[in-house]
Amino acid sequence: MAKRIARDGVLLALALILYAVEAQIPSPVPVPGVKLGISNIITLAAMFCIGPADALCILVCRIVMGQMFAGNAVSLIYAVSGGLLSYLVMYMLHKAVTHKQIWVCSVFSAAAHGVGQILSAAMVMKTTAVFIYIPFLVCSGIITGLFTGLCAGFVIARINNNIK
Amino acid sequence: MMKTKTWIAIIAVLFAVCAVMSVLIFTRKGHVAKVVLDGRVIRTIDLDAVTEEYSFEVRGEGTNVIRVRPGAICVSDADCPDRICVAHGWESSGGAPVVCAPNKLVITISDEDIDGVTF
Repeated sequence: MAKRIARDGVLLALALILYAVEAQIPSPVPVPGVKLGISNIITLAAMFCIGPADALCILVCRIVMGQMFAGNAVSLIYAVSGGLLSYLVMYMLHKAVTHKQIWVCSVFSAAAHGVGQILSAAMVMKTTAVFIYIPFLVCSGIITGLFTGLCAGFVIARINNNIK
Repeated sequence: MMKTKTWIAIIAVLFAVCAVMSVLIFTRKGHVAKVVLDGRVIRTIDLDAVTEEYSFEVRGEGTNVIRVRPGAICVSDADCPDRICVAHGWESSGGAPVVCAPNKLVITISDEDIDGVTF
């Protein structure tokens, strides 16, 4: 148990570092919700190498702490809903793909992240005008998810099951 | 387990469909801007009728400064954490609404006629 907490804590720290680094990169397109999502590499690694429960703990802690450092109460809602929907998709797919197809899982979870953010944004801002960004966010999610998924694939291939 | 080729095909189709939808959406045209704060239309501006550049402030969750010039509108300053609304720049056609998600502000541009009630 102590080992588990220590290991998940290290992964959480890594995810937060990636999150902080990413926050320094200006978004190339001014559309809310478009981002690289490199901290998702940690969530993917945790999901495939440790298990869904640990991945969820790391994800939720990373989102809440990340938003405390850079964000406000409203952006926390978007981050949580995007994160949870992407986790749900990742959880449903992680048994359906091989270790060589981790990027597939990442692509769909990144697309779901954008959809989740827009759904919560529509609810919070009480307007359906933001829905028209959904196709764009799915496209950007496919591209960024491909990138982070391939990265996660390399990471997982290196650490294999050594962190279990 | 599905083959990698099958996954690539599914993702490619999804990408193509969404890309086409995005292009169709972003090339729509309009001239009536609606400033929506927290779900309420607080200002309706006919951008074609604007003759002089001006700006005004809206306060909700935070503060945004909105700038209007003939045919275009933008958020020129904001106190939100990500400032995506400012980065959006001038919006004139109406395809993409200017969104400040943390401050619950949306500026849509459409072809609708101005109704006096919301102004």
